[in-house]
Amino acid sequence: MLSFKLKTWNAYAPSLESIDSWGNWLNDKNQSSEKQRNPSLKKLPLMLRRRFSAIGKCAVEASMPMLAEGQHIPLVFASRHGDVGLTLSLLESIAKNEPLSPTSFSLAVHNAVSGLLSIARKDPSETTAIAATENLIPLALLEAASQLQVHDQVLCIICDMPLPDLYKPFADSPLFPYAIAIVLSRQEGETLSLENQPLNKSTSSPQDDELKELIALLCHQSSTAHFLNKQLNTEWIIKR
Amino acid sequence: MANLQLELKEMIITALDLEDIEADEIDDAEPLFVEGLGLDSIDALEIGLALQKQYGIKLKADSKETHDHFASINALAALVESHRGTNS
Repeated sequence: MLSFKLKTWNAYAPSLESIDSWGNWLNDKNQSSEKQRNPSLKKLPLMLRRRFSAIGKCAVEASMPMLAEGQHIPLVFASRHGDVGLTLSLLESIAKNEPLSPTSFSLAVHNAVSGLLSIARKDPSETTAIAATENLIPLALLEAASQLQVHDQVLCIICDMPLPDLYKPFADSPLFPYAIAIVLSRQEGETLSLENQPLNKSTSSPQDDELKELIALLCHQSSTAHFLNKQLNTEWIIKR
Repeated sequence: MANLQLELKEMIITALDLEDIEADEIDDAEPLFVEGLGLDSIDALEIGLALQKQYGIKLKADSKETHDHFASINALAALVESHRGTNS
């Protein structure tokens, strides 16, 4: 079992712009974030702002309000799909024998958003970009908590966006773009534990929505979050 | 000539996602890169691609001439004009 302290957190999706609004979203199954409005990113220089796509904008809006200007903090950036719409647009250009946009090409790598954030915040701290098919949330926190061995604090950003229609039959993706930013600390904040154990069907409640599981924990609506791995027959448990 | 300048500004605004900038905010003679408009090296590649698509102009990425052509809107307009001259 691994434990760490949760210093602070924030989350952002278009129309879910405060922690209260996330709590309300959790309690109303019918309410989804359909009102699409791109966040403004007004704090960023104009010439940098245009490089952030929908998922990058969510990552900025979730993380920047928690961070002091000039604060150096290592980053674990986690996304299952990343900006797959951008990759698809490049593939479509190749299929049409059109030249590729150099900008899109440079931004289609998985660590592009973390690199842009590093430039935007003028923070040269190390960044790690990870992806996972199952259990992205506990695995991102595992990576971030592990990095507390060498850093006092680590910022973990977990984000995803809906897949383009072409890919939707093949994998799950969220209904709307979102980012959750969590500052993990060695010393400050409430203690959380993270562990992996064989699936115990009698005690575990089936939970298919990892995002809701995490938000419920963060909003203090639950004290335990379960993340099942049906393939390995195990579960990750995060406990307060 | 002034129409070509406007056309090039609109091409750059579209190609580089400069959604908050109006064509008349770009000065014909000001540097496009670093100072002036403040474009960077990825933008230079993107403009090169746009010139190829819109005017059929192919440039070498590393030549001194290319560097000069990208100095300002006026320099780009001169490039397009001279390219039209050689092809007509």
